[in-house]
Amino acid sequence: MAYLATRNFLEDKDFVDKWLYTMRTGELDLSWMDAKTEKIKPHEANPRRGLTYRDLDLGSYGFTGVPEKVRGNRSYAPRGAELPEGLPDAQPWVSRKSEVWAFNTESYYEEAVSRQWNVTTDIPWERLDGVEMPETIGKALSQLMTFLTEVEMIATDTPALWLPRINPEFVEVKAFIASQAMDEARHTEAFRKRALTTGWGLMKASPMNEMALKHLRDADSFSEMSVALHLVAEGNVLTLFRFSEYLSPTDVDKRIFRLVMQDEARHVGYGMQHFKYVLENFPEKREVVHAHLDEAENISFAGAAATELTESFIILAGGGLKKENIEEGIKVTTRFNLKQMEEHFERLEKCGMPERKERSKLYQMFEMGKAAAEAAGIKLS
Amino acid sequence: MAVSFPSTEYFEALRDRMAAEQEKFRRLGFIDTTFGVRVGHNGKTRNFVLEFEVFELKGVREVDAIDPQKVDFTIEGDAGVWREMIENIHRNGEADSSHDINTLAHFGEQLKVVYDSPDGHDKLYRFMESIQRFFDLSSKLDVRFN
Repeated sequence: MAYLATRNFLEDKDFVDKWLYTMRTGELDLSWMDAKTEKIKPHEANPRRGLTYRDLDLGSYGFTGVPEKVRGNRSYAPRGAELPEGLPDAQPWVSRKSEVWAFNTESYYEEAVSRQWNVTTDIPWERLDGVEMPETIGKALSQLMTFLTEVEMIATDTPALWLPRINPEFVEVKAFIASQAMDEARHTEAFRKRALTTGWGLMKASPMNEMALKHLRDADSFSEMSVALHLVAEGNVLTLFRFSEYLSPTDVDKRIFRLVMQDEARHVGYGMQHFKYVLENFPEKREVVHAHLDEAENISFAGAAATELTESFIILAGGGLKKENIEEGIKVTTRFNLKQMEEHFERLEKCGMPERKERSKLYQMFEMGKAAAEAAGIKLS
Repeated sequence: MAVSFPSTEYFEALRDRMAAEQEKFRRLGFIDTTFGVRVGHNGKTRNFVLEFEVFELKGVREVDAIDPQKVDFTIEGDAGVWREMIENIHRNGEADSSHDINTLAHFGEQLKVVYDSPDGHDKLYRFMESIQRFFDLSSKLDVRFN
């Protein structure tokens, strides 16, 4: 038992007597009715949308007024409530706004809630009845799904791990991160179900992939976790989902990838807005993030080149295992790999880190890969 | 009555269908994006700006040129590609696996997605299912091509 109450209430005579006294007499305390809190009347800015968190950005309840360093509340008291003596210290790790905040955090959460979907009922699984795929395509698809299931499991754990560490003053961030954990759990479900419906069961776990994923889980700060998870990993995965949708052998797979990419793009959006916020409001973090990116890019390069992923893509893109299939598959997969890297640097530049290209070894790989692709006659978009 | 493509009437007809199928689009969730559609034909282009808000297409207008700063992204392509996509949707009730937006635009060989900000670009994917279902409503229109 990790936590013990500061009193043993069940054996505290005064406490028990008070409980019984109230029951017997109906004498109420009612001091909470005089809570010294602000009285406001929020209304919906757009009735079509409903009452949003942004509509509650008012006075002491609002997020705009949350200071950069939250010192006043370390408990689970909701922002704006009266804080009486005796609230326990919940020991949040993150009480600095620029460590977690993003422009439009509240809108990302509202979007997440309104765009939830259901793997069981929103995917037309019945359309898979009678679908026959060649063995190599079926196995490649199942390997891709196995790989993505691993990815999504750690993508569920990582944001969830940070939830209790974030000060409850940042309620909108906590809500968004909770919605992300739900999204990723749903993706795990989607990929597991699709792997098993290929008829080939799950294929092989990927040590290279899991090494990359472990790095995401073990970041030292929220911002480092966010840049590695939301920007590097999910940015790459967003490009990967688009590519997978493009390659999908059935319209059921297309639907799955279109739905998962929506969630993934929302996470990338939050990550970009958070990273911009960090760079603008916590400039000392720039070097820390650079150092974290050095390793995140190293590991994501390795994870993206995992045999279990690359070879299944080559087979799906080329349509089989014949020489001409493999040649075509390599061309298409190379274009995807380079697009993934290019979009990563585009995002960092837009967030305010244009110098990343000069420092990054991954960028050198991108330039080298681009030159090699052009020399091999691979047309880049 | 047939609507012509490309035209504001075509997008307005889709908007009306979207409103008529509100429950389906509510189920897909908020869609908040403004994007451009550019249709090339014989060296000329026709440009449209579509503004989505909450669950619906709030406005559509034809413009001389699309300002990339004022849209999240623009989907551009020759009239022939757009026509093939719309006819495919009409035949199948929805785009088949070779004619959905992401497939046509993925490597920029048929349709192309152009953007000023990667954040804006990512909105295409944030709202992909809604945007695809919006275009899939073409199956319920009688479209003639200019």
